Amino acid sequence: MPNDPKSTTKLNVDFKKIKGHKFTKEGSSKQALLNLTQDQGGNFIFEFDSFADRDVCREYVANAIAFHAEAGRAMPEASVAPLNNEQLSRAETERLIKLLQENSELQKLHKQFVFGNILTDAEFWATRKKLLDKNDSRTPKQRLALKNEMWTVKPLSDGQSNRVTFNLTPEIIHQIFAEKPAVRQAYLSFVPNKMSEKEFWTKYSRAEYLHSTRNVVAAAAEAAEDEELAVFLKRDDMLASEARRKIRRVDPTVDMEADKGDDYIHLPDHGLPNDEVKDVLEAHYEPYRRSFSQDLNQHAAVVLQGRVVGRIDVELGDTRSVAEALSRSKQAELSNEISNRNLERELSDRISKMAEIEDLQGPQDPAVAPLSIKDPRDYFDSQQANALKALGDTGSGAKPLKSSVSSHEAYGSLRDLISDIRGTGLSEPIMNQEVALKVLGSLTQNISSTRFNLGNNPHESVLDGLPKVTKEELLHVTRLKDAMSQVYPKLQEIKESVQSDFRHQVSLLVHPMLQALDAAFAHYDADVQRRSAKSGERPNGFV
Amino acid sequence: MKFQIEDVTVYFPYDNIYPEQYSYMVELKRALDAKGHCLLEMPTGTGKTIALLSLITSYALSKPSNPVKLLYCTRTVHEMEKTLAELRFLHNYQVKHLGPSARILALGLSSRKNLCVNPRVVSAENRDSVDAACRKLTASWVRALAVENPNIPTCEFFENYEKAASDAVLPPGVYTLQDLRAFGKEKGWCPYFLARHMVQFANVVVYSYQYLLDPKVAGIISKEMQRESVVVFDEAHNIDNVCIEALSVSVRMQTLEGATRNLNRMNQEIERLVQYFKGRLQTENVEKEGPVTFVASINAQVGIDQKMLRFCYDRLHSLMLTLEITDTGQFLHIQTICDLATLVGTYTRGFSIIIEPFDERMPHIPDPVLQLCCHDASLAIKPVFERFQSVVITSGTLSPIDLYPRLLNFNPVVSRSFTMSLTRDCICPMVLTRGSDQLPVSTKYDLRSDPGVEKNYGKLLLEMVSVVPDGIVCFFVSYSYMDGIVNSWHESGILKEIMQHKLVFIETQDVVETTLALDNYRRACDCGRGAVFSRGKVAEGIDFDRHYGRLVIMFGVPFQYTLSRILLARLEYLRETFQIKEGDFLTFDALRQAAQCVGRVIRSKADYGMMIFADKRFVSLCTVTIVLLGNSTIK
Repeated sequence: MPNDPKSTTKLNVDFKKIKGHKFTKEGSSKQALLNLTQDQGGNFIFEFDSFADRDVCREYVANAIAFHAEAGRAMPEASVAPLNNEQLSRAETERLIKLLQENSELQKLHKQFVFGNILTDAEFWATRKKLLDKNDSRTPKQRLALKNEMWTVKPLSDGQSNRVTFNLTPEIIHQIFAEKPAVRQAYLSFVPNKMSEKEFWTKYSRAEYLHSTRNVVAAAAEAAEDEELAVFLKRDDMLASEARRKIRRVDPTVDMEADKGDDYIHLPDHGLPNDEVKDVLEAHYEPYRRSFSQDLNQHAAVVLQGRVVGRIDVELGDTRSVAEALSRSKQAELSNEISNRNLERELSDRISKMAEIEDLQGPQDPAVAPLSIKDPRDYFDSQQANALKALGDTGSGAKPLKSSVSSHEAYGSLRDLISDIRGTGLSEPIMNQEVALKVLGSLTQNISSTRFNLGNNPHESVLDGLPKVTKEELLHVTRLKDAMSQVYPKLQEIKESVQSDFRHQVSLLVHPMLQALDAAFAHYDADVQRRSAKSGERPNGFV
Repeated sequence: MKFQIEDVTVYFPYDNIYPEQYSYMVELKRALDAKGHCLLEMPTGTGKTIALLSLITSYALSKPSNPVKLLYCTRTVHEMEKTLAELRFLHNYQVKHLGPSARILALGLSSRKNLCVNPRVVSAENRDSVDAACRKLTASWVRALAVENPNIPTCEFFENYEKAASDAVLPPGVYTLQDLRAFGKEKGWCPYFLARHMVQFANVVVYSYQYLLDPKVAGIISKEMQRESVVVFDEAHNIDNVCIEALSVSVRMQTLEGATRNLNRMNQEIERLVQYFKGRLQTENVEKEGPVTFVASINAQVGIDQKMLRFCYDRLHSLMLTLEITDTGQFLHIQTICDLATLVGTYTRGFSIIIEPFDERMPHIPDPVLQLCCHDASLAIKPVFERFQSVVITSGTLSPIDLYPRLLNFNPVVSRSFTMSLTRDCICPMVLTRGSDQLPVSTKYDLRSDPGVEKNYGKLLLEMVSVVPDGIVCFFVSYSYMDGIVNSWHESGILKEIMQHKLVFIETQDVVETTLALDNYRRACDCGRGAVFSRGKVAEGIDFDRHYGRLVIMFGVPFQYTLSRILLARLEYLRETFQIKEGDFLTFDALRQAAQCVGRVIRSKADYGMMIFADKRFVSLCTVTIVLLGNSTIK
């Protein structure tokens, strides 16, 4: 919980105890409040300066509650530990905790390496960046939509007089502006120079009322007398031009307009006249005709598009700035469309993808799951043990087989083999010496060069180049070190075991190996020092 | 996958195949071998198009010496795009497995409006103004003048295309209209003229029915197609109506006024004819007569004989060329008149002329109309059957399959109906006869405007939107009915409750608006918001597969308006000529429309959806419905 530095008492409540949250609606007369309900009863109510701040907190709280509910248990050590890490932002830390909670495997590893002081926290996460990214994209910020409710003129008349009352809230005004660009435009040009805000909305309501009566002739008559009223009554030209622009971007598989454009599909006066009763209107009434379906479609399109204003720090109460913000966002949309040259390609890719029948498609990936071994050491050790055991088991079975071949026969076959090799000769050595030397040399180079780079960037390690499994095995550093230090005497042994004639050649081969070992140990020592220095800095880092 | 059907190796772009797709291909191959026509029915959701395309392209590949050409006819432009997208998928697969030898040229063909890339021309409002704007820049006489006077504008795309001359070719590949436009833009060539030119070299041409069925068009575009072509009419369950529409013309007062204006500029002998029609439209009573008497009456009154009538359209065409008229969009009225004259002069049977002084339903508004109605679907398609060796008529709904050969008057060598094998219940058809208050629901005339029925329909939709995820499609029997019911839902507050759950989009008679609404509907389904799309007419063509349609509701039985004189005349003709009973035909027609509508929700067997037929009359039609849905859905 973020603590307000100015407040006198500090509030510290664990999220485990929070059961739910409530909040006041934006656009209503109330202030921006957030109400957290506690487990054992009792609430915390927070008041915010702006709705935007509140929404950020609300989202955070909603997430926190959700994963506490999901996990059902808290992880005290994990939730405290990374907080001390100055490299990670708060949001990142949260994600890490969540990741650990969801993935017990990872949690175990984290415990083993980080708490066992084998890896620093940063190192641990550096190699798992992918996981983090994936996790991040999985929870996109949810956008708030407009309410899916149409504002209609429901005259609230008192039954006695002819007065009709309408209710308009800032939310409704926002919706009207978003759905009817012509009204928005009219507002920007009329108010306050030509008429007051109140007059404007009265006029608008009058127009809506006329529409609701569906009396086209009356509407046309009134519009003829009042040119401002006519703006509301006439068909929205801005919408029409927008439609013409948008029609070029629709998915071709639903483009019914293209059918109309095709030769001969719809010849005028051709075909059987349809059964529809046409509402024949005189031409000058035509612009005043407006259907409810049209409004409904436009409404749904706007809701689908989502709230444009509200995120851009515009208070809903300020009608003018809402109108301006909407106009601006339309302008931006237009320029985006113009700059988007890939549209045709995108569309055609989209149809191609839709054309495939997924059901008939064979499995895209080979039907195998990647092998994931929890602890490779355990696995290979046990495999070895198994193999030995198996050998031991068959040992008794192998004996009679052995005895069936007499020593004479065995000797014979061996002699045959040797004479065979003599005849053909050992055509080539098992491995080309020069190639082997080259490989070894470059490997050494690699290791010793990383020694210099390593100190600079702790995230980068020579181990990153290795497969993950190998790396994790290698990371049991102490074991590895012991094993490696045993290589020294072994190499010495090898050198001494060969005859003096070949000793020079052998030592040539062994030398790079020795160099590599030296470099590795130097690196290890440096690392140990660095590690101890680090844990010295932060003694509580891994409690 | 790759497999043999007799001597043909079929390249099928998927790893799996449905058994019915295989049998479909086998039958199709037999028809191609026999060089005859065929009629194939296979339910929607079984991948008909891809089966057909793979078999025919593989068939052509197996006979490299004499490859067949495929003329694929769709009803609409968006179906054209869909088919070409599937073909591209198939083509990529075939090229991958066979190498460059499998490359073919396939393209879609449409109007200038849909292909033009010249921004000055394509910005025109509708098809006819685009045509006219194009002609103004590209007609031979305009270009001849432009050579002398550089101030006369021409179209740079057309000029570049002409300059490139024989070099202007499309490299092999599959081109949707979109691809054609992109290619044209890139090369600076006019895609429309390029496509028109390339049609004769293409292996596959996809265009709309009318390019083959309408005699005026077929003469121009499909003339050069060789006999060794396979013609496919996909989604052909309505082909009889398309045939009839191609040969039907109606003339209203506006048409005649327009024609008079046209004539003032031409002032030719046709004027007498227009005068004659004017006289006929003055009638106070409904009149109906056959073409022979009509022609005789024209001859008697204005002295134009049958032969002259017959060549009206061609003569008008040459006249307009001679007069160097470019704004052809303005001359549609006179073209309509001449078209009617040509048809009347050409056919002696299968037509009637109906003159109505006003619409039956609105007798107080005078709206005289003279209609030349074709009743015989076989007339328009006859030349196609004669010209091409194999014509394939296929759809998800062709039952009863023996009716189509009668309606279209041909002898198929193969006529098969395949059933769909289902491994799980992926569709759930239901008939709803009563609303939540146990009162029957129907769109029958006596119940249609009953507020109780409207309320019950609303409640049904409300219950459904609260439980069905993603997209829901509603079909109504007519626009006016939908308008009425949506308004009454709005007033009673049901609509508001529906909108608590999903967004609502409605088809209107404005195509642009409907297209945008559909596009938005799809996006609402894509983003998980969920939406309802209401269609005012039982129209097909748009797929509502997968999450775009988890439920489809048919509000009412889509019977045709039985009081229409045109329909009555056709029913009479059907009874006299083919001995088809009126009731049978009407039921057949309503059910094929209904089955097509609900069939749009299934695209493959992995797809699933629910279908509700909300009308008490569906119970008696139920068995037929199930048959139409593909024989496999008995529940």
